Amino acid sequence: MNEPRKVTGNKRKWIVLAIVTLLAGGIISYFASPHPDGLERVAEDHGFIDKAESPSWTAWIADYEVPGIGVPLLKVGVAGLIGAGLLFLVLYSITGSLSRRVRGKDDVGQNDDHAS
Amino acid sequence: MHIPDGFLDLKTCVTTGVAGALAVAFGLRKTRDTLMRQEVPKIALIGAFIFAAQMLNFPISGATSGHFLGGTLAAILFGPAVAVIVMASVLIIQALVFQDGGLTVLGANILCTGVIGIYSGYGFYRLGLGLLRGRASHVVTFLAAWISIVSASAGVALLLAWSDTFPLDIALKAMVGWHSLIGIGEGFITAMVVAYLTERRIAIEPLPAKREVPQA
Repeated sequence: MNEPRKVTGNKRKWIVLAIVTLLAGGIISYFASPHPDGLERVAEDHGFIDKAESPSWTAWIADYEVPGIGVPLLKVGVAGLIGAGLLFLVLYSITGSLSRRVRGKDDVGQNDDHAS
Repeated sequence: MHIPDGFLDLKTCVTTGVAGALAVAFGLRKTRDTLMRQEVPKIALIGAFIFAAQMLNFPISGATSGHFLGGTLAAILFGPAVAVIVMASVLIIQALVFQDGGLTVLGANILCTGVIGIYSGYGFYRLGLGLLRGRASHVVTFLAAWISIVSASAGVALLLAWSDTFPLDIALKAMVGWHSLIGIGEGFITAMVVAYLTERRIAIEPLPAKREVPQA
């Protein structure tokens, strides 16, 4: 690897990132701009926004608002926390099942790593 | 720039669905060969961060907003193959649970904001670092993230045109126009987070010369 920079192993920085994530999803998300985003703006300007369909029956938190919560801040915030938590769990299990090697430990014999 | 159901026609949905699935399969395969155990919680955390950051629409001009995408960030930190998995996971959960981006166009979204955004941004990043020998890496990171948003939006424009939703020249102009503004936000966030989460890979360097002790 000739990358000039490497990902930090400093635990404190990752904890800060986790806190930023919780604040962003849980609180700041409520204050996000309600305006249409780039693609929606283009679709509105050029008259095809009505083509959009939203029939997904799986979407139990449509538009990032948890149904059944009265307080708007909580509605969005809980949605953000659920989403961030889901992503963490999903990616942890996917990448966890893909990675087997620990740096320095199993480096020997990595060429016959074709079991299973 | 999540495409909703209904914007793309059947052939485009099917083609991009197959292409998106292949890209994810390739990403999984490549990741299996190279992934280190200690990267797992970091990747999961970056995925959670990207999801949360994508919720934060920031206003740009003309009653329009934009939001972070994160493909270049994930690619710079963990490589493009892992980034494809991260972005696909974000998009799948957004489409399934939050109704953000359609299910029939999932492949198209993975292809544009995932694959195209990741490889254009990461490609520029590596090229820039190589040419400048690692100098001005923050500027290179900023530009890489900007390019990734603009390329992804051009990809969306191409798919819209291919589906006869919208003529190509107008689609390109409109999409690239707005996203060259949104890309500035992407550039800043990516450069900041990369600067915070990476450190210089230092070979053994001599200690700096001792400073003279100031006279009292």
